[in-house]
Amino acid sequence: MSDPAQLARDRAEIKDLMGRYLFAMDWHDTEAYAACFTEDGVLDYAMATLTGREEIRLGAEKFRDAVGDLFKREDGSPALLRHVLDHIVIRVEGDEAWTTAFWWELTDGGPGRTPEIQSFGTYEDQLARVNGQWLFRRRKIYNEFIPGRETPSANPVRHYDDAAARAAGERN
Amino acid sequence: MSAAVMQAGYAEDRAAIEDLMARYLFAMDWGDYDAYLDMFTEDGELEFARGTARGRQAISESVRAFKQAIGQFYKDADGNPAILRHIISQTVIRIEGDRAFTVAFWWEMANDGPGGKPKAGTFGTYEDELVKQDGRWLFSKRRILNEFLEGRSTGEVNPVRLLDERAKKARA
Repeated sequence: MSDPAQLARDRAEIKDLMGRYLFAMDWHDTEAYAACFTEDGVLDYAMATLTGREEIRLGAEKFRDAVGDLFKREDGSPALLRHVLDHIVIRVEGDEAWTTAFWWELTDGGPGRTPEIQSFGTYEDQLARVNGQWLFRRRKIYNEFIPGRETPSANPVRHYDDAAARAAGERN
Repeated sequence: MSAAVMQAGYAEDRAAIEDLMARYLFAMDWGDYDAYLDMFTEDGELEFARGTARGRQAISESVRAFKQAIGQFYKDADGNPAILRHIISQTVIRIEGDRAFTVAFWWEMANDGPGGKPKAGTFGTYEDELVKQDGRWLFSKRRILNEFLEGRSTGEVNPVRLLDERAKKARA
């Protein structure tokens, strides 16, 4: 049985990391974005699967350059894109953690420059605590609007609970 | 830049600050001015589209005027003041002793869509400074930025980077 105070602390720190990740992405702070991952971290998303901070940083630069073409306002100028993170399930086993979270995104590209919801999906993460800091070891981004990248049909929390249970079992 | 190693008690402080931020939104959306003002320090500052209000009395006047104006702005299909709800999602919270620094993403929706349906209004960020007084976290400064108002957008730099710099100064 894990210590509830420790779980609260881990959860607080992981939520902070997930917030920092989104601000880094939406403000195209590619260095801060890559720093959310472990040195050998993996980012698995629609555009590619990237390994290591440098590849992830370069991927974030590509994303920055692509996003202006993907989302436009009515007048053709690049839209502002904001990712939003709401319910987050976090399971911690020692210095490893697993999360499943719901994300959605909106732009200012709606009629008359109003907010417009673009897509939604889930994050499926593995995290590791390195020198006292939680970092993403692997982040997989599912998007229900990209064929082939949809969240699998089974409840994603079940999937990650199984992974955490296996990790706990291997340790004992 | 990466998530800092958090001080002991981070989880408790973060939980208290998340609660304060939720109370703030309920107080604002339900027009509970006493509760709203009670969340600021005596000399607290509120900076938003209408300017900067310093001290509880000035904040009270500013917020009442804002609520009145917003009732004129958001109308439902029948022309009545719409029901407006603010929503807060990813929140980065940095704590340095009895001071805290936060950046959070907010958006708003109202029942002013076609057929009385919900419609997104605008989005932006909160940039806050808090202090712990007699064991309670309070806003000493809340800055409300809105990407849809001229001159009030969050800016080009990742706001978390600015928050980390402010926190670093507070530590020095």
